Amino acid sequence: MKDQHFVVIGNGPAGNEAALTLREHAEDARVTLISKETGGCYRPHLIPSFISGKFAEENLYVFSPSSYKELGIKYRSGQEVVEINLKTHEIFLDHREVINYDGLILSLGGKPRIPENLQVFSDLMLTLKTVHDAKVWTEALEKADTVLMIGGDLTSLSFTSQLIKMNKKVVFALNEEAFWPMRFSRELHDEVAEKLSKKGVTVLDYSRIKSMNNIPDGGVEVHTDHETVCADIVGAFFGLVPDVGFLATSGLKIDRGILVDEYLNTGFEGVYATGDCAQVYHPEINDYWVSIGYENAVALGKTAAFNLIGEKVKAEPECIFNIQGFCVNSSWWMEF
Amino acid sequence: MSTVDLTIEICGMSGDGTIAAGVLLNEALSAAGFSLMALDSYPAEIRGFGRCVTRTRIGNSEITALSDKTNVLISLDDEQSQSRVPVLTDDAVILFDNKPVTYISEEKALLPMLEPEMNIFGVPFGDLASQASGSRRGRNLAALGGFAALFGIPADPFYAAIKKKFGAKGDKVLESNLKCFDAGMEFCSKAHELKKKRITQLGTNGHSSEKQLLSGNVSISMGALDAKLAFYFGYPITPATPVMEYLAKYLPERGGRLMQMEDEISSIGAVLGAYFAGKRAMTATSGPGFALMTELIAHATVAEIPAVIVNAQRGGPATGLPTKTEQSDLQAAVFGGPGDSARIVIAPSNVRECYEYTLKSFQVAEKYQTPVVILTDFFLHNRVENIDTPKPDINDMKDGNVMPDDSSKNNYKRFENTESGISPRAVPGMEGYIFAATGLEHTEKGMPDYTAKNHTMMSEKRHRKIHNALDDLPKPEEYRPEGAYDIGLITWGSTSGAALEAVRLARQNGIKAGMLRVGSIFPYHADEIQEFMDKCKEILIPELNFEGQLANLIGHLHRKEVKRFNMVTGIPMTAAEILGAVDKVISG
Repeated sequence: MKDQHFVVIGNGPAGNEAALTLREHAEDARVTLISKETGGCYRPHLIPSFISGKFAEENLYVFSPSSYKELGIKYRSGQEVVEINLKTHEIFLDHREVINYDGLILSLGGKPRIPENLQVFSDLMLTLKTVHDAKVWTEALEKADTVLMIGGDLTSLSFTSQLIKMNKKVVFALNEEAFWPMRFSRELHDEVAEKLSKKGVTVLDYSRIKSMNNIPDGGVEVHTDHETVCADIVGAFFGLVPDVGFLATSGLKIDRGILVDEYLNTGFEGVYATGDCAQVYHPEINDYWVSIGYENAVALGKTAAFNLIGEKVKAEPECIFNIQGFCVNSSWWMEF
Repeated sequence: MSTVDLTIEICGMSGDGTIAAGVLLNEALSAAGFSLMALDSYPAEIRGFGRCVTRTRIGNSEITALSDKTNVLISLDDEQSQSRVPVLTDDAVILFDNKPVTYISEEKALLPMLEPEMNIFGVPFGDLASQASGSRRGRNLAALGGFAALFGIPADPFYAAIKKKFGAKGDKVLESNLKCFDAGMEFCSKAHELKKKRITQLGTNGHSSEKQLLSGNVSISMGALDAKLAFYFGYPITPATPVMEYLAKYLPERGGRLMQMEDEISSIGAVLGAYFAGKRAMTATSGPGFALMTELIAHATVAEIPAVIVNAQRGGPATGLPTKTEQSDLQAAVFGGPGDSARIVIAPSNVRECYEYTLKSFQVAEKYQTPVVILTDFFLHNRVENIDTPKPDINDMKDGNVMPDDSSKNNYKRFENTESGISPRAVPGMEGYIFAATGLEHTEKGMPDYTAKNHTMMSEKRHRKIHNALDDLPKPEEYRPEGAYDIGLITWGSTSGAALEAVRLARQNGIKAGMLRVGSIFPYHADEIQEFMDKCKEILIPELNFEGQLANLIGHLHRKEVKRFNMVTGIPMTAAEILGAVDKVISG
């Protein structure tokens, strides 16, 4: 491994674990961890509580940036990869720097998804995925009384609880596409709506959002097919999609995520994908599965790192659900 | 406002507009009311090669030295800026061009060298300039706009600085530069709105009246102009050339004349000629040029002709390090030249003193009929400080000539052995006098005489005269006297500012430290220096030379060996380095 340069892109739980594993088991190699977010690897599920002030920012992080330095991992935060050339082993960064690698682990995580019909209103809605997003929300909430939540993913439900604790008025537009790649069933919709109502949340009865516009004095006006709702902030909560857009011309096989074999290899020598961005082949079911949840991501990150340094470790999902034709390895789903 | 003490560096390749941006930054921050000291460093080579760095330290209290740490780095070139990373503070703010024209390899990029805890702001300087003005040339202005936005400094002082610099180049040029600045400011206000909240917002520090941003070079030149300099003769040499450049522009306006000579020998020769004729004249040079002048300086001491010579020291010996600073010409200034050629050597410590010492030097040179060497250095010449606009002291502007009275007309002794050693000097054109100037040993009337008795008498007279000048020379200044000290620093020249900061820090750390700043190097105020030494258990003399040349000169006044702290790194000494030396002496 001497003089080898291993690069991990993405510092979610999978990427963080991959970098730590590489550092531990490839002592002579140079390990670089690139994250487009600043700060360290954080616990995503604590973000709503961070916004409400329950947790300080430093408590969000699993690893502080300085910890990587102590471990001998070059941590490059706030730096975004825009292109990868798998033939020349080059990584191109947004600030126009080129990095050469010998081994690569793609742990790109997800980015907030906005359904196609709402993308035209993206500028009018806030999303919540990163610590930076949380800070945007925190600042916006200082001047807000009413929040309209559109969608209904798990983050939105957790966040709603915190908003209520912050004495904000919450209006919810539950959307059947919230749990992408699954769809809300009518039963689940009604159950969630009832729970929200009991908490004091106004749940809208609507089929589609027709339009959205800024109000001159502040806030946003949302027109559904049934009514017009005004809110100080509108949030979009439709789950996450793998953040793999920049890989479209890389030669990697991409479906909903990056397609990899059971060893998490992408088909290119020394290039692995792991965590939420990977769709992992399972020979027994002859299909691909995706992983959701913190612990699963950590396990996959470790697996990718071991395989990069020459081990032969299979990615083993604890449990695979087949929902509406799509295989999901999910611990949180079971908890839910 | 809380304490502001911020060092800002702009780093780029020659041709990036680094130095120009530094000038604008200094102008703007000075106008915004901050105390300021700045120094540029640039390569000796031609455009297109080498690194340029401007270094600006600002504060809301007196700034006497540069810092050894940088709080803000504005990078106009990744590869060149890599050299600045070791001096960055842990929480440094870095602005860099995140959209250079071409991709940069990891080995040459700045970001891989930075720590994630730092506040890193990618700003597309070139793209912003291009969009704003149609050319990427204004990327340095976009960088300044970004800096202003991140630190909450209003645009007005920057606008004023840009107008001052580009106003004469026409509306189009001015407008382009203003647009580039605005583009950088707007980008950082929006794109980094949240992130910039981690940065202390500076705003302004109130406008102190009459503050003027001056370099040592300009300050010396202004002092000479206010002294009614009649002639400047010089030959270009780093770092003294800007004196000639400034005077070439302004001396004719004041009725004076400037001539670039063929070399330094002719420069000093012309100065002596002008002064022999009764006109104030000066030259400015650096080590290699000063070496060439020594024969005629010695000539002036024996012919008793006034002269004002600025020696802006640079790294030596010989051609040495032309663009680096050093204090290694002290011995050459005091002793350089053949024979016992005592002359006056004074060393200003800051930009204000550059003005005051130069103004005074003409009068002293006239009164004592001797060369006066103003010993400065690269750092002092090139650094800028914002100081109260210098106003000449009427007493220092007065004619210093000691002229013969009418009674001596028929028996005039040009080199009369007076009690003070000063012989009334007649200048050509005065009726009834003889006008002698000779490098041969001579009698009181100026006739050659090599006898033992005469040479001894005249040597004593000339030395007596020089030592009697002490009353007219700057006295040593003790910083806030506090009785006895565990350690006393004796400083001279540009190192004094860093030493002053080190003493302040030492006192904060509970060390009983004192400081005496010596302005007159030769003759020196032995009684005052010894009095200070007697109050100190240990004496430390920090100097930018290898052996300790001031220590060699005055060390014998101490009852025991003085401690020396010497550096020949070519860069100014910092307070932290001197404080380290203080700690070392104290801990034994």
